[in-house]
Amino acid sequence: MPYQMKTEGMEEISELLEKMGAAAGSVAAQGLYEGAGVMADELGKSVQTIRTAPFQFAREGTRLPSPEEKEIVLNAEPGIAKFDRSGTEVNTSVGYRNAGYADLNGHVKPIPVIVNAINSGTSFMKKQPFVRKAVKNGSDKAMKAMKDKIEETFEAMTKQ
Amino acid sequence: MPSEYEALVAALKLTSVPFAEYGWKTRPEGAYGVVQLDFEANTLNGDGGKLDRVWEGSVDVFYQKLTERGDIIDAVEETLTEILGDSWSLNSTQYETGTGLFHVEWVFQCMDTPTEEDDDAVPDED
Repeated sequence: MPYQMKTEGMEEISELLEKMGAAAGSVAAQGLYEGAGVMADELGKSVQTIRTAPFQFAREGTRLPSPEEKEIVLNAEPGIAKFDRSGTEVNTSVGYRNAGYADLNGHVKPIPVIVNAINSGTSFMKKQPFVRKAVKNGSDKAMKAMKDKIEETFEAMTKQ
Repeated sequence: MPSEYEALVAALKLTSVPFAEYGWKTRPEGAYGVVQLDFEANTLNGDGGKLDRVWEGSVDVFYQKLTERGDIIDAVEETLTEILGDSWSLNSTQYETGTGLFHVEWVFQCMDTPTEEDDDAVPDED
């Protein structure tokens, strides 16, 4: 389930990027990389809050993820997708989309499916929205990291 | 507990879909729903405490028959609007291949503002 991070209060940054001319796209990408890194760290921290219980089939109600399932998500570090650039517009995503597969007691499962089952819940898995929580907690920090990096790059460019 | 959340739970339980808070011990036959508060989304701190607190929660509905879909979605969304105004959004729609259930998920925010009664409970310093 993708979540979008909305950016607000970026007017000053837009003005700075406009002043950079042709270098704006590259500088925006550097800023975005910093922000994406912060978001990936926040996601990694949020995984640690997942509650677990020894595996048992949820025949009637819901179950918590097993420690083995949590371990798979902990070891699958959230990745930063290849940047999609069009002029000064730069987009990326952070998450487990290409995290691959894991062997769970002899059953090979895609890691994004395990992540989604925990995050959104299913009819048999109790919901623990750790991704949504990470986006909520990390947005301001990611925005600050992006702004700081762009301002730092702008200062370095103007000193040259 | 935010009063808006309590009102939402009560209103959802009046719809045609059986609802439980935080999950079912035994899943009902047919369509069913779950409502829960997930985490504290925002807080306004001041005067040595939390003045306003925003909670984020979710409503999940599971159903099997496509013919039920329209009525269920209308009932949940009308209830969300009635209680919370526009502080909610449809977050995801999914299909569970193992069980054949459709899963629709809404996310909402509700505010927990201390009432005058809460204020009265705190003794004045002077």
